[in-house]
This record gives sequence, structure tokens and C-alpha cells, in this order.
Amino acid sequence: MTARRIDGWTGRVLLGAAVLLSGYPPVRLSAQDSQFGIRGLGTPGRFETVRARSTGGAFGPFDPMSPLAEASLADLPQLTATAMGGTSYRDAEAAGATTSLRASRFPVMGLAGPVFGRLVLGGGFTTYLDRTWDVTLRDSLLLRGTMQPYSDELTSDGGVADLRLAAALRVGSRFALGVALHVLSGSTRETAARIFDDTAYHAIKQSDEVRYDGVGVSGSALLDLLPGLRLAAFARSDNRLRARLGDVVTTQTDLPNTVGGGLRWAPSPSVRLAGALTRRTWATAGAGAFNTVSWSAGLEVGSGFSPLRLGARGGQLPFGAGATAPTEVGVAAGTGRAFARGRALVDVGLEHLERKGGGLSERVWTFLLGLTVRP
Amino acid sequence: MRALRAAWLAATLGAGAAAACVDRATSPATCPEFCPSGAIDVVDAVLGTSITRDSAFRGYVFPYHAVAMTATDAPGAMDSRAILRTSALASGLVLNSGDTTTSPLVGADSMKLTLTITRRDTAAHNLTLKLYRLPITIDSTTTFADVQSAFADSLRAVNVDALLAKPGGVDSATGDQAAIDTTSKYLKVTLKLDSLQAPYVPGDSGKLGIGVRVGADAPTSVTFCTRENACGAAVAWFVKVDSIKGTDTTLIHKQLAAVTLFDNFVFDPPNPPLDSTLAVGGAPSARSILRVTLPRAIRDSSQIIRATLILVPAVPVKGAPSDSFVVEAHTVLADFGAKSPLVLDATRTDTTFVRVGATDTVRIEVTNLLQFWTSDSTRPEVMMLRSQEEGGHAGEIRFYPSAAAAYRPALRITYARRFPFGMP
Repeated sequence: MTARRIDGWTGRVLLGAAVLLSGYPPVRLSAQDSQFGIRGLGTPGRFETVRARSTGGAFGPFDPMSPLAEASLADLPQLTATAMGGTSYRDAEAAGATTSLRASRFPVMGLAGPVFGRLVLGGGFTTYLDRTWDVTLRDSLLLRGTMQPYSDELTSDGGVADLRLAAALRVGSRFALGVALHVLSGSTRETAARIFDDTAYHAIKQSDEVRYDGVGVSGSALLDLLPGLRLAAFARSDNRLRARLGDVVTTQTDLPNTVGGGLRWAPSPSVRLAGALTRRTWATAGAGAFNTVSWSAGLEVGSGFSPLRLGARGGQLPFGAGATAPTEVGVAAGTGRAFARGRALVDVGLEHLERKGGGLSERVWTFLLGLTVRP
Repeated sequence: MRALRAAWLAATLGAGAAAACVDRATSPATCPEFCPSGAIDVVDAVLGTSITRDSAFRGYVFPYHAVAMTATDAPGAMDSRAILRTSALASGLVLNSGDTTTSPLVGADSMKLTLTITRRDTAAHNLTLKLYRLPITIDSTTTFADVQSAFADSLRAVNVDALLAKPGGVDSATGDQAAIDTTSKYLKVTLKLDSLQAPYVPGDSGKLGIGVRVGADAPTSVTFCTRENACGAAVAWFVKVDSIKGTDTTLIHKQLAAVTLFDNFVFDPPNPPLDSTLAVGGAPSARSILRVTLPRAIRDSSQIIRATLILVPAVPVKGAPSDSFVVEAHTVLADFGAKSPLVLDATRTDTTFVRVGATDTVRIEVTNLLQFWTSDSTRPEVMMLRSQEEGGHAGEIRFYPSAAAAYRPALRITYARRFPFGMP
């Protein structure tokens, strides 16, 4: 029956897309690249699917497939798999110079479904920290009595993924709980290269692979205050991120605690409004790191197979050069389309972000593509 | 409607796939605010005591085995002359394909001798080559004094610069010619000798001993290619053969090729015996061995980007004035002292020029050698210094050894420390 429903040309396209999205190596998992993350631990990922990102992240605590708050899994009626990809076009402006950059990432993949009665289990991975960057610089150095100009290229490719195992239970008709265990794992391939203008000095090229690990736990709850009005609360604690070269731990960095909440109001079956607020204690990560507060507000219109989504977000970034945290504001829009009687959903979104801080500003356009399958 | 949905899906996935094709992640850094905290740390250090247990040895390549032989005319400084012996000629020739007997060789009309000059001093004008008749008994034990008396009356002399200036480099009156090979840039000079200058002596089977001196308006030095380098002197005989066919005693004129069976050069004054200094060059050639102890921090966890061997000459470089030669620094496969086998690999060899008469500090870039050692810790940290055309010239340089504390050999190393990967 199912096979017949997603059979044909549409089914083959969906199957191909699913294979392409799921076949990407985990080391490439990373989300928003940003130069603000180069100096710190990296650029934190967003625990949001395309649907949530298209609403500025406001629907994140209520979206069952967004790995932000696991309590929302309790409303998942059937086995569901999702994956998303995004391509960012970024203009970084510093010291009067603008550089255009482009990156493609696959930050979220998840699988969840009910197992025993009202208990729903889910798992998947998300980008926790993106550490992919490639910087070049030009300078000179006094060597053997002569200033020697050189070009440096420092690169890092990879990141830290959040592997999540979550469980959610609808305790009552108006209350749901969820908990999750997070295993942080990843690696980066890092290189440092220098080429002197004077060829009497040979080129320098060093590289190594850095592995990362850590763990975290999270919990969340959903409470329906009124018909159409839902409150979400979530919290998460990550212990520390260990960086290893071979078997040697090179650094150990404390990771943040996260607390947040959201409110969703559905004045009619076809209109949903939501807002969310999140605080993360990134300052524990060391010098140059800041605690962050971020907000988001969004709207989803349409109850059929093609909703329209709008949203805005703002807040701070955890790593920056100045005395205060860099700021970020953005808007997003998106839509989706259901196929095979709702068993396959394709979501698309477009997000624009502006980040500022410490003399650097970034403007980012991100095209988002998500695929959800309910076999 | 179904087709519309399919088209919407295909367009969306296609746009996503196209956009995701290529990352462009390189950006100019705004340092230090938006750069990685780590930086490449380059250190420059002079290792003054890292070279120890150095010594010199002589007798690696003898002049008669060298790939070059040098003739020098530098009065008061160096006098060296090339000597060679041509091969024997057959006593008879088969004149026709059906002949069962050979016809005897009864004399020579003339002979052409071609010498290949691989290096010459173009600043010294009117370069002249003079040929002398030497006894055919010359061999590897022949010294400058043994043949000095034979260099009294020259058989022939040719002004090479004047010959090159003639059309086509040919002197139609003498039959001499000169030409420069466009590929190798070698100068080939052919001298024609008549039957009096190059007589066929049946008792010697046609063998000839020939000596070559050079001269010019100023002290000069010329290097000839040798048979060891497959470009030794070539000999073309034009001989007379008695046909002996019945009553026919017609003399047939034939051309016969010959080669040099032996070539060498003799010089005065000879290289002084070895002492405590580090000698490189001369003939027979001398080599110096230097043993290096690299600090473990550099050898094990650093990347060497430049290394310079610093050597102070103990005496002015000996040889023909205005001449120069190349000193090579090799590493060895194993440290067997004087008999250490060299690693003969162009990528593992570093060189420098030294000028005769100079006393300046010699610097040899030995980055390749040190990188070779750091890439494989089983390699012996041993350097062997030798001249490039080993045994082919009398030029010799002597450096202060490690025992001379003030002027001992030193290494100047520029290296990059290990990058602090894994730091935020």
C-alpha cells in the first residue's frame, strides 16, 4: 500500500534525494559558517529543521523533528525521518574589504516514532559546533636580517556533531515530557601552511586531525495552557568539550547550559503564531566567549499541504573580538509541499542574517531544503 | 496537478543540488580578532657546536678517472697540461668484401684530432691550444716532471678565438675547425696534423702520445671532456693501404677512426698533503666528512625550512686564478667514515660555487639534506663535502675544522615549530 503511494516519478525523486542527503559523511556536518566562530570554539549549530528555521526559530520548541526540545516528539503520530541541507552565501566585511563566501551544509538528520503506547523515541544528529574555515593572511617576518614577506593559510574542516537519543511521553492530554542524552563527537582536519616570497625558504605545511568529545543531557516539557495556547520549556546541560591529538588531550573547554521557553498560539486551525527565548551560558568557554540570549517570533499560515512561514530572530553570538558579544538579527520565510498524501514533505526556506561585532559585519543569505518522510 | 507537484519537487531539489556543489570558504583574515589563536612560529638559530668529528680524506677520484681534465696556464700559480694516448691501428685492412686477405697499412696522409672543451674562460682572449708529441709510454703514474721536457716544441698551435671568428669556424688553409654545440654549449675543436706531425709508426701500431697546453692573453684555464665522460678526444686517421692485387701495387687512401685509450692531466704545484683542515677538491680528490647532531626538538617535531652550512676557509682557495669550482654537500647511506657511500640523488644534494683565491666564508644551503634527515630518523646525520667534477681539476679548498673553536663549521637553521593544533 505504502509502496504504491510513493511509487512513480515523484517517489523515485524523493528516494534519490533521501539517499543523497543521508549519504553525506558526518565530518561535513556543520551549519552556519561564520568568522565570529574562528577565534572561539566554532559557530554553534541551530537545533532546528527547515520548518522551524523558516519561522525564525520560533517554532523550534514545538516542532517534533527539531532537536531543540524533545517533549514535542510526544505528538509524533508515526515513524518519521527528516533531513535538511542549506547553502549559505555570505559577505564578510572587515576593515573596508568585503569577501564573498559560500558553503553548503547538512546540519540536521533525525528519525523518531512511537514505540510503546504514548512513549516516543527519537534519534539523530545535529551540528553542535561548526569548525570549518579557511583563512589567508599576508605578513612579513624579520629573518636573517631581512624582512621576508609570506602568505599564510590556516584551515579547519569539520566540526562537532550532537548525536541525540531522545524519549518523550505524553503524560496527560495537556502535558508532555521529554528527556535526551547527547553525545558530542567530531573531528577537524586542520592545516597550517606558509609560503615565503623568497624561495630560499621552503614552504611550511603542517596538518593534523583533532578529535572532539563530550556529553550532555536535556529535558523539556509542553503544557497546553488553553485550547490553542501551548507553553514549552526546555533546559540542557553539556559538560565539557575535550580536544584530542592522537591520545593526548590538548584542551578541555566547559560547555554551556541552556534554558529557554516558547509560547505558541493558534487562533484558528490555519494560523499559528509562536515566540521563543533561549539563554546559553557560553561565557564558561573561556576568554572571548559571552553568554547569549536569543529571541525569535514566527508565523505559520495554512493548514493544508502548502503552508506559508515567516519569522524573525535576534540575539547574540557567543564568540567575538570586542568587549561585548556580537549581535545577530535575521528574517526568514519559507513554505512546504506535501506529496504522496502527506507521507513525504519537502520544505524550503530562505533566511537572511546580519551579524555585527568587533569591526566585522556579515550578511548571510541561506537557502534551506528539507525532506521529511513518513513511511 | 500531479505533474505540477512533480515539477515543483524536481525544481526545488535541482536548485538545492546546484547551489550545494562547491564551497568557497577562503577568506582574508582580520587578525588577531578573527583569526585562529594559534600561529606558525618560525625560529632562526645558529647551531655553533652541532658539527663534530669532522675529518678529510684524499684518493676518491684520480685524474685519469675523472670526467674532466684541466689545462691551465697561470704562471706562478698553476700550470697544468692534458695528456692523452690514442689507440692502436690495425696492421691491415680488408679492402673489398670478397677479399680473404688483408692489405697492409703502409703510412698515413694526415690525422684529425678533435677535442671537446666543456668549460673555458671567455674573459681571456686569444685562447690558444698547442699540441705536443709525448712518448706513448705515458700512463697513470706519469707526473708533471716526467713529461715537462716533452713540452718543448709544439706540433701544432691553433688560436681558438680566431678560428671561431672564421666563417663556419673553418680554416681552409690548415683544415682546422671549431664549433659550439647548441645543446650542450661544448666547444669542439678539430686540428689537422700532417704526416710529419702525426706519423704512422708501424712499430707503435699507430699509437700516439699527445700533450695539450693552453695559453691566452691572460692567465686562463680550460677543461676538456674525457673518455670517462664519453666525450674524450676523437681521432680520425687518413691512411695509405697497399692493395697487393697481383701486380697492382696501387696505394689506397682510407679513413680510419681511433679513440683515446688513456687521458689524464698533470699539474704543478701538486696539492699539499692533508693536514687538520677540511680539504675538498684537488686531484686525486679530497672529501671532508662532517657529523651533525641536531637537537631532538628540531629533528623530531619541527619543520626545517632553511638550513645553511657555514664554513670558514683556512687558506685562500687554491687553483687557477679567476677560476671557480662547485662544492657539493651530500648525505650518506651509512656512516663508514671515509668509505661512507654517498646518496647520489639530485634532490638530496646541495651545492655552492667557490672562487679560487677567495677567503670569504662559504655558505652552502643544505635544506634538502636536513629535511631528508628529519623525514627519516634512521638516516645518519652525516654530510660529505666533495667537488663536483671530482678529480678533474686541481682546485682545492680547505676549511677550518671543528677543533678550531673560533672558526669551526656551523649550521644556521630556520625552522617552524609544531603548530598548536587542537587549540580553540
